[in-house]
Amino acid sequence: MRKGITGVAILLLLTLMISACSSGNNASSTNAAQTPAASQEPAAGEPKDGGSLIIGVASDPVVLNPNYAGDRVSLTIDQALYAPLFQVNNGKKTFYLADSLTPSSDNLTYTLKLKDGLTWHDGEKLTADDVVFTIDSILDEKQNSFLRANFLIGDKAIKAVKVDDLTVEFKLPQVSPAFEATLVQVFPIPKHIYENETNIEKSTKNASPVGSGPFKFKEYKAGEYLTLERFDNYFGGKPHLDSVTYRIAKDTNAANLALQNGEINVQYLDPKDVPTIQATNNFEILPYSEGRLAYLMFNANSDTGALAKKEVRQALSLALSRDELIQTAYTSSEYADPAKSFLTPDALYFTNDVPTFDNDAAKAKELLATAGESNLKLRYIVQSGNKAQEAISLYVQQKLKAIGVEVELQNMDSSAWVQKFIDLKATDYELALTGYIMGYDPDAYRILFTTDSSSNYSHYSNSEVDKLMNDGAGEADPAKRAEIYKKAQELVAEDAPIYPIAYTKTVVAVSKNYGGIDEAVLKPVVIFEDLSKIYKK
Amino acid sequence: MRQLIVRRLLQTLPMLFFVSVVCFTMIKLAPGDPVLSFVTPNMHADDIERIRHNLGLDKPAYIQYFIWIKEMVQGNFGYSLVNHQPVLDQILDRLPATAGLMGSAIALAVLLAIPLGLVAGANRNRWVDKLINFIAYIGISIPLFWLAILLMYLFAIKLHLLPSMGMRTIGVESPLDVLKHGILPCTVLAFSFLSGYVRYIRSSTIGQLKEEYVQIQYAFGSKKSTILFRHVLKHVLLPVITLIGMSMGDLVAGAIVTETVFSWPGIGSLGMTAVKGMDYPVIMGITLFSSLMLIFGNLVADILYSVVDPRIKLKG
Repeated sequence: MRKGITGVAILLLLTLMISACSSGNNASSTNAAQTPAASQEPAAGEPKDGGSLIIGVASDPVVLNPNYAGDRVSLTIDQALYAPLFQVNNGKKTFYLADSLTPSSDNLTYTLKLKDGLTWHDGEKLTADDVVFTIDSILDEKQNSFLRANFLIGDKAIKAVKVDDLTVEFKLPQVSPAFEATLVQVFPIPKHIYENETNIEKSTKNASPVGSGPFKFKEYKAGEYLTLERFDNYFGGKPHLDSVTYRIAKDTNAANLALQNGEINVQYLDPKDVPTIQATNNFEILPYSEGRLAYLMFNANSDTGALAKKEVRQALSLALSRDELIQTAYTSSEYADPAKSFLTPDALYFTNDVPTFDNDAAKAKELLATAGESNLKLRYIVQSGNKAQEAISLYVQQKLKAIGVEVELQNMDSSAWVQKFIDLKATDYELALTGYIMGYDPDAYRILFTTDSSSNYSHYSNSEVDKLMNDGAGEADPAKRAEIYKKAQELVAEDAPIYPIAYTKTVVAVSKNYGGIDEAVLKPVVIFEDLSKIYKK
Repeated sequence: MRQLIVRRLLQTLPMLFFVSVVCFTMIKLAPGDPVLSFVTPNMHADDIERIRHNLGLDKPAYIQYFIWIKEMVQGNFGYSLVNHQPVLDQILDRLPATAGLMGSAIALAVLLAIPLGLVAGANRNRWVDKLINFIAYIGISIPLFWLAILLMYLFAIKLHLLPSMGMRTIGVESPLDVLKHGILPCTVLAFSFLSGYVRYIRSSTIGQLKEEYVQIQYAFGSKKSTILFRHVLKHVLLPVITLIGMSMGDLVAGAIVTETVFSWPGIGSLGMTAVKGMDYPVIMGITLFSSLMLIFGNLVADILYSVVDPRIKLKG
């Protein structure tokens, strides 16, 4: 008898766990039925005021000062806390603090007009002084802003000069159409707050930031959440929401549960979690382009010298299939568009109509033979623990084997991987999977593909491309510039220093209780460009 | 007694020194470079060098260590390489959350472990014992994050009884709210401690039951439960003091997994972030702080031991 009871007790415990565990997938649909909010239709199309929004973020912000924010979370929060001068989407400018930006006829001076009546969150006036102060602090070597490099053309600095309270002139040392893309990254900081700080990055004033964006700082509980509240004097009109909270949720699975439970309203999703969240019927699932290229890099500088030959790089590219790679890494083409050019689709003068080497094993073998390469052995560095990296590395290994190329996978810790990857002197590997987000101006890509430049990790060198990229940097005529970058894209694609795989998308889930998403504009890295437009239905 | 305490405190210093050397060496030997988290692709090489210099990372490792220890002796734990906030402030900020969570988890585990261990030990090899053992084994073998997600799913999503994560409802400042948020993480942690404690108490109960005083009580006709809870319990409680002393390190180091899964703003999740960013002043600070607590915990346990059980004489 006693033994019997033990058995029952154990069985009960086990079934409890198994049932709780296996119900993971279908349970979400019953949950949806229980949540009344899901069935509520918006009363009319009209945005309503009031309510709050909770955005899930993966870590604490590092520093709430746009001159120093480099991590995703700080950038996201700064986007609501500080207002930019203007933003650019699909080549079109949306003005925020600025009213206009006009280049002079020689393109060496840009005149920026600010909107009238701008104020900081503390009520002080926002003027040209603040803009000049911000640029000066970025340029000040002692202040360590990583934006500094953007304000140098050649080795000369761009100068910002106040003309009157609402006008700033930027003097460029030479013509640079990419200058506008540099200004996009500027979110002015208040001069009256930071004026006498010897080290702005370490200033205690960053703990209670004063910005000019739609929401002002309310409270921050380290490791828990950060709350912003509505700024009534926002120049773009009073924001609809009363408050926005960024909730720190480090564990993805837990964050997804919190999302389903209504403790988080907006959250990035991993493609594999989309079906679960979609099944609840409570969320808009929004994939949007990140302006990011994912690619396989060929290190031409490796000690074997194997990849210095263009034909070998082309052959390796031919052995792979872009579509299969996208399936392998992103589960579906819904989350990634096939890439051929080194520019991303959001970039000016982007074209995917370039030579491509894809999915032709027979031709690959032929090319290897003409290049006189046989028994090639390649080393491929992989970030261990990164599922996409591991999956792709195995795929590449198998596909290259088919054309007689042996690939040795070298798994390493992600920090060791980064260290090796950015070391321009590293010669002990040939292949690596990586990606970049470089922004919308093609000049930003110059450092990746010109001979001996700072981020040319594939050690690509083509004097024609060097010339085109340098010309493009200083060419003010858009038509000529378009011609230059079209040619550059074609040349780089032909030389195959990288194998472009996909323009990846990021997926964000937004609770159906909120509206105004189109007006707020989904934006890479920061989720929403203008949070003032979001409202609670 | 006083001599002993003084001596033990003096022993602490070389111990901490040793811990700091080992920890520092391991951080420096690990692959990766903290400067990388500041580098953007278009940064000039001299900008990168300037950052490295400003952070003092261009000096040889042993010099960095000496600088660190010099500051440390003056009570300065240094500044985080990532957010430039003072390390000590960050640890002290997070300490209440961790101490509260770990303290209640350890207390809960001990409270449950004592009756379970006693009953299991007294009913050795019978079904009660087997059941308790089974639970203990589950506690050891279940991955904590899995149990955490399971409970979260059950109590937050399914039953809507408890919040799934965090320590507070946004904008709410009430102890009751914190308590409510603490139930799940506390249960998960207590479960992980429970197994070890139960098995410890069980074996010590088995040992005590063989003692002569137990036989004598039986001879006097005492009931089994009386013997257990009135006499055996006292003896069994002694090693529990040691157990708790040993847990003092955990009390401040926090539980990395549990805190991360539940987004509990404690030292464990702070440490996790620091390790990812190679933020060595923070890693060192947390390691030293928890070593210190472990050493003190053991010292206090030893002292208590001699107070509770006069048979044990502490000799310096």
